[in-house]
Amino acid sequence: MKDTLHRIWSMVVKEFLQLSRDKVLMVFVLAAPLLELMLMGTMSGDGVQNLPLAVLDNDRSRASRELISMADQSDELLLKTYVSNIEEAEALMQRGKIAAIVVIPPGYGENIVDLQRSAEVQIIVDDSNYVVASVAETSLETVAGNIMHDLTAHVTTISGGPVNLNFVARFNAALDDRPHSITAMLGMIVYQVTLVIAAQSFTRERERGTLEQLRITPMGRMEMIVGKAIPTLVIGLLNCLLMIGVIAVWFEVPMRGSLPLLLTLTIPFVLAQIGWGTLISLVSRTQQQAILFVFALAMLEVACSGFIVSLSDMPVVMQVVASVSSVQHYLVILRGIMLRGAGLGSLWVPSLALSGIAAAATTVAWLRLRVGLDTDSLQRRLRAMWNAYQERQRRQKTTSRRPPRGPGRVPRLVPQPVRSRVEPTPRRRRRHY
Amino acid sequence: MIFLSPAFVLVALSFLFANGSGRVALAIWDHDLSPLSRQFTSDLGSDADFSVIHVSSYEEIDDLLVDQRIDAAVVIPTGFGDAVRDAGDAPVQVILDGVDTLSAGQATGSLMGHASAFGVKLSSQLSVPSPPIVISSRRAYLSNGDRRNSMIPGLIPLVFSLPAMAAALALTRERETKTLESLVVTPVRSLEYLGGKLIAYVTTAVLGLVPVWIVATLVFGVPFRGNPLLLIASTAAFLLANMGMAIFIGNLVKSQQTATVIALFVFFVPGFFLAGVIDPIDTTSLVSTGMAHILPTTHFVTICRALFVKGATISETWPSILSLLGISAAWLGLGALTFKKRVT
Repeated sequence: MKDTLHRIWSMVVKEFLQLSRDKVLMVFVLAAPLLELMLMGTMSGDGVQNLPLAVLDNDRSRASRELISMADQSDELLLKTYVSNIEEAEALMQRGKIAAIVVIPPGYGENIVDLQRSAEVQIIVDDSNYVVASVAETSLETVAGNIMHDLTAHVTTISGGPVNLNFVARFNAALDDRPHSITAMLGMIVYQVTLVIAAQSFTRERERGTLEQLRITPMGRMEMIVGKAIPTLVIGLLNCLLMIGVIAVWFEVPMRGSLPLLLTLTIPFVLAQIGWGTLISLVSRTQQQAILFVFALAMLEVACSGFIVSLSDMPVVMQVVASVSSVQHYLVILRGIMLRGAGLGSLWVPSLALSGIAAAATTVAWLRLRVGLDTDSLQRRLRAMWNAYQERQRRQKTTSRRPPRGPGRVPRLVPQPVRSRVEPTPRRRRRHY
Repeated sequence: MIFLSPAFVLVALSFLFANGSGRVALAIWDHDLSPLSRQFTSDLGSDADFSVIHVSSYEEIDDLLVDQRIDAAVVIPTGFGDAVRDAGDAPVQVILDGVDTLSAGQATGSLMGHASAFGVKLSSQLSVPSPPIVISSRRAYLSNGDRRNSMIPGLIPLVFSLPAMAAALALTRERETKTLESLVVTPVRSLEYLGGKLIAYVTTAVLGLVPVWIVATLVFGVPFRGNPLLLIASTAAFLLANMGMAIFIGNLVKSQQTATVIALFVFFVPGFFLAGVIDPIDTTSLVSTGMAHILPTTHFVTICRALFVKGATISETWPSILSLLGISAAWLGLGALTFKKRVT
């Protein structure tokens, strides 16, 4: 047991030593996440705002002007221009200058105070982005709702429809989009940093031929994985803690639940990434391959995370796929604890899922480490033998002009067995492990 | 991998978007239990937009909200039925889950639409006045609720950043495995070397447009209404811009690991959040507008949407195409300049 701990410790020290040699990487791993979070949080936190609007006002009454100015005053819509016919508006939309067209029919002003008739206002939305389309629709509905509400207060004979909905937003009274998007960014940044570091851990060793050196040490497979995992875990947790601090202090996102619980549940999240990363790094032969795997995996995970499309809106197949996405579970936990003040009682499903994913990925990596190394070293041995054979042939050609060194010496044509399994590495590169 | 991966990722991402909007999970607490309130709630229950749970306390609502099992709760007070019949103005409280503002907005819109439909229905049954304003909505380019087709053109730029990543690594790889030094001693000039690398990667990636196009139009049935040549040209420009950026990154750092981390920060997160793929570009602050316009992804997203869904011509898309060309020229120049210094 003591030996195991000692071996793991020396692995951890080696990993940190290697990491600290790459100064640029260290800066990017520790400072860039914070910078990026602050930059992106400041720039994209306010949700959909100021969608440009064109208005075709066929009524030109006081009431229609009131509708237009209320739409203009809403956060989501911004009056860009008046148009005199629908073709003009559609040409503007085609060029991407406006996001929606509001068409007010003639007689709007009279119809809204008429008890028997409704005034029908049409909105034409640019649905080449459905988010824009649905936000524009919803906000015009809200504007209309407010007008009806005002009308009932002023003109007692009419009502805003029989049912008057009063909306209250829980957890986020102002319906500010920032807490939602910034938590997604936090999850994604922790995700990518840990995954990249983990994904390259073993590939790097393999590409430099040091994996075999590790193999001949008394270190076991699990010790190797644990030793590699600890530095990544430390970096991941440190990143997470720093970023939580930034979003709580800088962006004033509330922390309603318990911080220790959040950090505890971050551990399986980071472990899942380490498992995946280790698996990727054992499957891929070069670092370039590893990166493409990382990138493809990251795209899928982020896509399934529920940030682009909320989970309940996905088709059932994708909901199943999303249930193995660790980002998705982590975002549920993160938002649950920070924004909703949830405890473990309401978060046990994602927590269990996260732990399951972490355990599964690590186990597969552990199995793969055995299989991969054995087959790999066989291939390497064969290749090393072939290289040695060719090298000797070449040397013989160049030395054949010289007289033989001694009489009766048999030319060695048979490849000599390779003494060690380690491929000789050039001296100048050995310093980098 | 460079040729086919964009198409694969596009398939996977596209499956995310179900056609037709999702359901709003609703909890209803009916204090009134009158015929009219029952009619209101049963209408909600039979509406395909909602899935309904009945509750009977605020604590229950709060627990459901914390557990994220509902998007909104509707509380109908006592006297609802009478108020509808007599005053024609019955207050109903709606408690939204404010965390995800987009789904909160969706819930608001669906509920408002439902309430006004209920009003129209009642005004024909009872002598209740009809609601003054009815909003009718028309989608300009696609049929209603066709969300997948509206999102796929926006995703194409994202999937094409995969080849750009590969290019970023190709350079650092040569440096790390020391083959760059052997290339330097050959008569190949540094610009020729860069040009060769670029042509190889850009052609492969542009060829990857074919499977992407097949997936988008034939598999998912997204209309393609624009000029194909324009799409090919702007894809090439987009790739060149990204690769120029990649070359620049590759020149700055030594190891592939670092290049990857930087590339993820540069290509990945901003691509998702700032380029207007999902949320439109934030035009409220100058910084974010400027930042978005520096990213090549932003312009390519605009072009893809215009060409696929809107059927725009060059006279309508030239601002984006010009900016894309300008950005790619700038990044390529920067990449070539820094590269020269490193080799000599």
